[in-house]
Amino acid sequence: MGAREQLGIPFQQVTSMNQNLHQANHVSRRAMLKGTVVTAGGMAVANWGALFHSQTIAAEAKRSGKRCIMLYMEGGASQIDTFDMKPGRPTGGPFRPIKTNVDGIQICEYLPKMARHADKLAIIRSMRTKSVDHGIGGYHMHTCYPSSEKFPHAEIGAMIAKYCENPESDLPSFIKMGSPGCTAGSGYLGPNYEPFTLGTDGQLPGFVNPGVPLAVQDRRAELLKSFEERFAKQRPAEPFASHRESELRTIRLMRARKAFDVEDQWNKARDRYGNTPFGRGCFTALKLAEAGVPFVEIGQVGYDSHNDNFPVHKANLSVLDPAWSSLLQDLHDRGMLKDTLVVWTSEFGRTPAINGQGGRDHFGRAWTVVLAGGGIKGGQLYGASDRDGFEVAEKMVDEGAYFATIYKALGVNHRAKHYLGTRPIWATPEGSKPIEELLA
Amino acid sequence: MGETAGRHGCEVLRSDVVPGSRRAKIEGAQVISESRSPTPPKSFLGGLPSFAALILLVAFGGNRVGAASLSETIDREIKAGWEREKLNVPARSSDSVFLRRIYLDLVGMIPSYEETTSFLADTDPQKRAKLIDTLLADSRYGRRQAQVFDLAMLTRDHKLVDGPVGYRNRGRFREWLAKQFAANEPYDRIAAKVLQAEEDGSQLYFAVYGNPDEMVAGVSRFFLGTQIQCAQCHNHPFENWTQKDYHGMAAFFARTVSVEVKEKPEIANVKGKQYLVGEKTVGEAFFSIDKIDPKTKKKETIPIPPKFLLGEVLNEPATPKDFVEPKLKPGELPPKPAFSRREKFVEWLIGKDNPFFAKATANRVWAQFMGRGFVHPVDDFGSSSTPSHPKLLTAIETELVAHKFDLKWLIREIVNSQAYQAADLGEVKEALPKFFERAPVRPLSVEELAASLPIAMGLGGDAALKTEPNKQMLEYLGKPTDGQGRFQGSLTEHLFFHNGDGFRGMCRPNKGNLAEKLLTGTEDWSQKVDRMFLSVLNRPPAGEEREQFAQYLGADGKDPKQATQRIEDALWVLVSSSEFRFNK
Repeated sequence: MGAREQLGIPFQQVTSMNQNLHQANHVSRRAMLKGTVVTAGGMAVANWGALFHSQTIAAEAKRSGKRCIMLYMEGGASQIDTFDMKPGRPTGGPFRPIKTNVDGIQICEYLPKMARHADKLAIIRSMRTKSVDHGIGGYHMHTCYPSSEKFPHAEIGAMIAKYCENPESDLPSFIKMGSPGCTAGSGYLGPNYEPFTLGTDGQLPGFVNPGVPLAVQDRRAELLKSFEERFAKQRPAEPFASHRESELRTIRLMRARKAFDVEDQWNKARDRYGNTPFGRGCFTALKLAEAGVPFVEIGQVGYDSHNDNFPVHKANLSVLDPAWSSLLQDLHDRGMLKDTLVVWTSEFGRTPAINGQGGRDHFGRAWTVVLAGGGIKGGQLYGASDRDGFEVAEKMVDEGAYFATIYKALGVNHRAKHYLGTRPIWATPEGSKPIEELLA
Repeated sequence: MGETAGRHGCEVLRSDVVPGSRRAKIEGAQVISESRSPTPPKSFLGGLPSFAALILLVAFGGNRVGAASLSETIDREIKAGWEREKLNVPARSSDSVFLRRIYLDLVGMIPSYEETTSFLADTDPQKRAKLIDTLLADSRYGRRQAQVFDLAMLTRDHKLVDGPVGYRNRGRFREWLAKQFAANEPYDRIAAKVLQAEEDGSQLYFAVYGNPDEMVAGVSRFFLGTQIQCAQCHNHPFENWTQKDYHGMAAFFARTVSVEVKEKPEIANVKGKQYLVGEKTVGEAFFSIDKIDPKTKKKETIPIPPKFLLGEVLNEPATPKDFVEPKLKPGELPPKPAFSRREKFVEWLIGKDNPFFAKATANRVWAQFMGRGFVHPVDDFGSSSTPSHPKLLTAIETELVAHKFDLKWLIREIVNSQAYQAADLGEVKEALPKFFERAPVRPLSVEELAASLPIAMGLGGDAALKTEPNKQMLEYLGKPTDGQGRFQGSLTEHLFFHNGDGFRGMCRPNKGNLAEKLLTGTEDWSQKVDRMFLSVLNRPPAGEEREQFAQYLGADGKDPKQATQRIEDALWVLVSSSEFRFNK
């Protein structure tokens, strides 16, 4: 009960308190077919003109009930100053390692709260990636393909939205906030899976707010409904149905927009998450995951520390640490962590060598990403860099293996095949394999 | 269906009096060339009563073997397809469905209230054919055709839409294309001019496709209707071509370069930047082979000579041994080469023996108006794709060549056919039925929406022509399909109409727009509902609709504030409907 109330949505339609949260929070498909649709807000919205899910969508959506929250460190977070420390080495820098709740895993002293969650983390310290500038790196680490292919690849968020979405949810299936990191969007997967972008602090964009009062919305939606019904009678073509369906989803989103309004609960949570846009973004992501949104990405800006790497990282980690750790804690406390994969990543890492401005530069040869939660075996280090961190010493992981692992953890076929025109395209390139040791 | 078939048969006769397209049959082949003049001559039947014309046609038309117009061939072959596939024969479109369809297809926007009412009231049985001629001569035709071809050639987001050669900065190219189409320049000449890249505005093509790989993929896809880009990295899995074919084609473009023309204020305007295109004297397409170079330890690369797709290796003079490409300043083009590979490619492309070009063009123009090509997608010619109507494709190809690539002639023949004018009703679920057993359903492009909204809201044709899709509209309405052209609705598209200021602004009573006419007019609500439907959907309301909308609009009595809101509501309903969103 509590969680539902925390959402700020009266769930008049919920029949069983034991229902899964994200199941409770959707519209019954059977009800839709019958004629009336009920939104998360308990509001009845009429079903329009023989509305049904287009078969393509229904057939392809093999939902795993899993979710993913991606924390994206825009600019490139330094592996040596976070999870792959080199104490005493010339490349080590001034930060000290601290112990964690797992023997043998040490992380940066400026991630003290995260140190209490190491048992949940799979730390991959052997990433080797090819695109080491911001635009191309952001693209590659969001789509698994290099931007040089000049192909409208789909972002990971769109792919997960497609395969993990609940088509009956009132909310968008792919939500982004903070720094975008990549603007590829849904690419060949089409506008159904375009990211829905919130403000940096998780606020809804203004155009979701109804331009007219609720009563007016209702009466004109009713007029549209009967108009569309008449039209649909002799015109069963799929594009019309898809158009009507997205109109209905729009109305439902406008009704359900309270799910984004976390103000009251945020007042209680903000001391734990840190009173920052990123902290609030992580909290909003928790609420959206609870409400059944399968993919949320939150960008944290400002890691591109060509100058003054250490002050920059110290400041950024002080924002990251409380937000990320509280997110993991809250997911755990709600029993959601087993179905929610939390990814910590960047476009690339940073050079072991420290430059003349006390900075570190772009580096793709041996860097670190962290996975936690849904489908992942926590409490482990995977792979390693060499003594000074210049090269991968063992178990190299490339973009394909990284994406394939995430997809497998979420129950998505990492070789899912789609077409752009006649050209086939796969979720990950040929030869990409999930890393079984990382999977629970 | 008996009744429908009967009606259909009758319609064939009626469409036989289409001016222009029938001239050839009656007056002999020499007249054909006339129809290529930019302003088509008035119908030769103009002075004859239509009944006499019918007699004339029945008398002369029936016995001529092989003299059928292309429209007739189209209808014969399409009908044969329905019979073969045992499909129901579609009814003929209603006048209002045809009217909206032909306006969108030929001039890229819906008709105005005045254009709608005058067409619907016209009792002339040849009014469809007449309207087709009027619209083909309309100044908006070139603009519309340019929008379609610009997008098909260069796509909307191959480059960032706001980038230097992105969609929003290609105004010069579209303007140049519009001039070609308006003058009805033979299409093989248009193709040649795009690839010669010498006329002002035409150079954008090679500025967008900036390297030989992009060039060969783009040119093959658009002008040859084939996808050979896969063979860049591996021999094509289904087709005849190999990596060597690909690199042989790339060799024609390996020397092409484009430079930006800087610092010319008179051209550096909102329409985007200007480019010049040239060609170097040397430069090769290289292909790495399965042999390791002992020095570099990498795969050896060898230059591949230019080779026409499925054709000969280009016979070219040797470059003088001591030739050194001059050092160029930024923005400078190399001197014109003594021998131009690209020019040889153009000669081959539009040469009479080219096996691809005419077929690809026939298929593409057909698909533009019929929703899908005989080969679908349009650029998928190859050994694995069997055309849906091979005989008809060949017929169109042959006639297109005989008519010297006269696009207006071809378009006139297509849109005068019964197949094009089929109804939008029926059981068929596919958006684009393979055998054309129902009119195709396609979403309006963002260009069509940007122009049609002001017309629907009574702001007039000038407003429509001035409205270019803004960034928001491009983002929300610009790419409504998935990777395979299937429509997908989006949340942001609907939010744009629900809450966006742009659309809401048009619905508020202002400066003689539709909303003001509705608010201040003295007619009763039923009449106002008629005007509303005719303005936005180009049809009168059905009785039930008239009643329902009139009741909705008048529910708050005469209070102008309430009425204003209700007018906005009703306009929102019509614009949000599928009927407005699609061409059907």
